Amino acid sequence: MGDLGVTTTGPELLAVSDRDRILRALAECCAERGFAATEIEDVLARAGVSRDRFDTHFASKEDCASAAFNKLVSDMLATLSTAGAPAAGMAVAANAVLEMIAAEPAFSHLGLIGFRQGGTQRMRNAYESAARVLSLMMERTRLGRGAGGLSYTQTRAAVGGAEALLRRELAAGRGSRLPSLLPDFVYAALVPFVGQGEALRQAREAARWAAEEER
Amino acid sequence: MNTGQREALLEAMMNELVSNGYGEASVEAAMRNVGVSRAEFMSDFRGKDDCLFAGYDLLADRLVARASERCDSIESWPERVRQGLAALLDQLAAEPGMARALTRAFPGIRPDTYERYVSLLGRFAPLMTEGREYAEVEEELPGEVELLSVGAAEAIIFGEVDAGRAEQLPEMLPEILFSVLVPFVGPERAADEMRGASATG
Repeated sequence: MGDLGVTTTGPELLAVSDRDRILRALAECCAERGFAATEIEDVLARAGVSRDRFDTHFASKEDCASAAFNKLVSDMLATLSTAGAPAAGMAVAANAVLEMIAAEPAFSHLGLIGFRQGGTQRMRNAYESAARVLSLMMERTRLGRGAGGLSYTQTRAAVGGAEALLRRELAAGRGSRLPSLLPDFVYAALVPFVGQGEALRQAREAARWAAEEER
Repeated sequence: MNTGQREALLEAMMNELVSNGYGEASVEAAMRNVGVSRAEFMSDFRGKDDCLFAGYDLLADRLVARASERCDSIESWPERVRQGLAALLDQLAAEPGMARALTRAFPGIRPDTYERYVSLLGRFAPLMTEGREYAEVEEELPGEVELLSVGAAEAIIFGEVDAGRAEQLPEMLPEILFSVLVPFVGPERAADEMRGASATG
């Protein structure tokens, strides 16, 4: 490394990597035993960092979980926004998110299950706010031009169907299988807006696109 | 313990869980509540967790049985779904504590308790399969359409229960019905069913 003139031991870089290690360790502990049963000491042991380092970055276990959750949400939004213009279709965006979740099963478990089911009221509120943003994004893009008239509850429910599938797979430790369910997710997101025929057509299109990407 | 005592104990234990959280939920308090001795408890349960799992299964079985009771004999699938869903929402509204235990207090304890919740949701999926025959398209619907439908209802129910608004769930029947039916029949017919549900309340 020294040969390249890159310093990897500066205090700032160390700080970043400590923080990331803690976040990852927390996500892994929570996926294994749940948020409530996870002790900060378990996180420290797994991350290989001292309590001082934890305290430098986080005020509490919940604060740390919130940071992990925010990382997941911002990664997801960034993935969605860079996944291409709406014209590229639902498939590209949905696939990018599924790949991301598959690649980060512990963070996704904490975000989708731990935060919603096992945490504090504040954590559940944060979860519902994130789901709300996603629902409103779907509403805004109108997914189906002819839609209109769907209430917030109906849009939120469409997101809920997809969440149930994500949660079932993550809970069973099958996060890596999620990208293979792309057509189901595309169908779920589209059918209330564009009807069955068009939703199925786009789901098939997504499957074809994914198969080509694979090659 | 006879069946009545056992059920009373399980209910008391679930109330402990909802009121005090997992850590503070007290087996002793539940036993005192229903007049069961330590020895009687120990002859039926290995401990607190065992009792909580049994309590959850009791509530889940009861929820499913009461919903089935109201709709099993109905011939038409959309009507059966509507009546079953109405029965489900009525129960959750009538017993908000039970609703909380079922959706959050118990599933939130640990990954293995959460799995029970996933199983509970999974029990509703086969009830939806007949909906595939009602599709407006010839092709096969996606493989997970049943869970997408159940999950749509769950998202709304969970949100209302968590916000302390379980009592309002029956009023939301039309919108939830739309969301449950739409993967199977498409938005137009789901909207027709929704209007039907609003009209008959």
